[in-house]
Amino acid sequence: MGFSSKSRKAPISLSCECEAVHSLPVITVTKQPEIRRYYGNSKVFPGHCQSLPDWGSSTRANARRDNTLDRIRQIAKRKNRLTEISRLFAVVFLVSLTTPAFSAGTPVGTVIDNMAQVNFEVAGTPISQNSNVSSITVQERIDVVVVLQSAQVQVAANDTDRALLFTVTNTGNGSETFLLSINSVIGGDSFDPVPSTTPIYFDTDASGDFNVGDVAYVPGSNDPVLVADASVDVLILNDIPGTVANSEIGRSELTADSLTGTGAPGDVFLTLGDGGTDAVLGTTGGTGTDTGEYIVGDVQLNILKSVSVLDQFGGTEPIPGATMTYTVTVEVTNTGTATNSVFNDPIPADTTYLPGSIILNAAALTDVIDADAGELDTSGAPTVVVRLGDLTQVLGIQTVVFQVTID
Amino acid sequence: MKISHLFGYAFLLFFSSANAISQEQGHLNVTTLVQMEEVSVGDDGERQTRLVPADAVVPGDVVIYTTTVENVSDEGADNVVVTNPVPEHLSYIADSAFAPGMVIEFSVDGGVSYAPAEDLTVEEDGVTRAATSDDFTHIRFVLQGELAAGAQGITRFRARLH
Repeated sequence: MGFSSKSRKAPISLSCECEAVHSLPVITVTKQPEIRRYYGNSKVFPGHCQSLPDWGSSTRANARRDNTLDRIRQIAKRKNRLTEISRLFAVVFLVSLTTPAFSAGTPVGTVIDNMAQVNFEVAGTPISQNSNVSSITVQERIDVVVVLQSAQVQVAANDTDRALLFTVTNTGNGSETFLLSINSVIGGDSFDPVPSTTPIYFDTDASGDFNVGDVAYVPGSNDPVLVADASVDVLILNDIPGTVANSEIGRSELTADSLTGTGAPGDVFLTLGDGGTDAVLGTTGGTGTDTGEYIVGDVQLNILKSVSVLDQFGGTEPIPGATMTYTVTVEVTNTGTATNSVFNDPIPADTTYLPGSIILNAAALTDVIDADAGELDTSGAPTVVVRLGDLTQVLGIQTVVFQVTID
Repeated sequence: MKISHLFGYAFLLFFSSANAISQEQGHLNVTTLVQMEEVSVGDDGERQTRLVPADAVVPGDVVIYTTTVENVSDEGADNVVVTNPVPEHLSYIADSAFAPGMVIEFSVDGGVSYAPAEDLTVEEDGVTRAATSDDFTHIRFVLQGELAAGAQGITRFRARLH
């Protein structure tokens, strides 16, 4: 089952999956990365009911998108994160990201020797002769990249400790220690998030979210030390002011600075590289920053799904030939609005949709695409689709019913 | 070897950088130097480029290898061939080889065989493709004609550090 709200761009839909046919179906919900357990009082999760920012139209968004894509390409070995980001981007841009190939470069301290050889003849006698050995020792290049991993985070006024996830990667060729800092006073957004009392954490449990078990970052005490190509996941936490309005956006950024030094590309820090080599700032200047976004959305939904089985012998055995009736109720439980809501539920495996069985609030809907609110969508895997419009608490519980027979 | 030649080269040694100490084994002096390019803006506002020792080399930098062959004997040397390896961790920069009076060829098989750059191929995953400058392992410079007594030839190429 899925529930989604249409924005100006394609909707993001959640999906519920029912398990094996021959036992009573269980509701499982696929958790999207941006949904927080904050919405704890609903049995399942709300959809996105605010319009997505129109990333295609503003120059700033395009530049940020290009910068972000470039940085993403620089990071290797993060396939899970890349899959999440590429899903979000696929919705908005239909861009496919290939796994980037990146190497921090020849390790600092590597000695590269070279010698030329000359062959010649004097009076017919062949002679071979080598030159001296010329030697270079690779010094340390300092580079760091910060990449946002979170999709846009939906928040409500007065929320506390809302997290944005970033990856900090040492893209230089030596070991470096990095200072982390947060800044939430950024131009171009509608409100300023307020950094939490302890605003930076490591995602110690690798959950992608802020949990007990994540270790707080204490500048000067546990500054992350990364070898070449290594990365660390960092969460920044902000509180949301009480005066924000629906669909407003607030931005917050994480910065990582090399402890050895930052500045212009090419700046040299004599003897401060690994093993007493010189440290040279690479193209990043030893510093990296990326920005995440919160969007205020205040609707809360309660979605419940149940199923009953009736077999052809009058019993309730889930045997081939039996009919399963699914009943889904959707309810807005606060003062928000779920705009352009669309319900969709794929027909489970090993079952066949029973024609003519879609009912919305006791009114039958036709199976074909027409003027009514729903249909069986057969363009891909068969899916029940019902458009619920703009839902508010006042409209009460919406009930969708449909039936399948067990193959 | 004449005494005067020895004296002259002792003088030369005194002023050379450590990387350029030559090994004198008879007829030719062969020295290899590795440098970087330094770009600065002069007083007149124009960019000036000069070669400096390759000290603070980091991944991404370009180094310049220069080999000088000097005939310090009084007999001409024939069929002079200079072989410059492209060391590990470095990639030859296409079209950067420079050697007046010499034919330049490249190897992709560790110096076993040489050919003009455009004729070289490599096999990758069972498919044969044209070789790129990244594939070159050695550069060979063949002097056309004799290296006369007292004459000097140089080879130079650029490479980028990975």
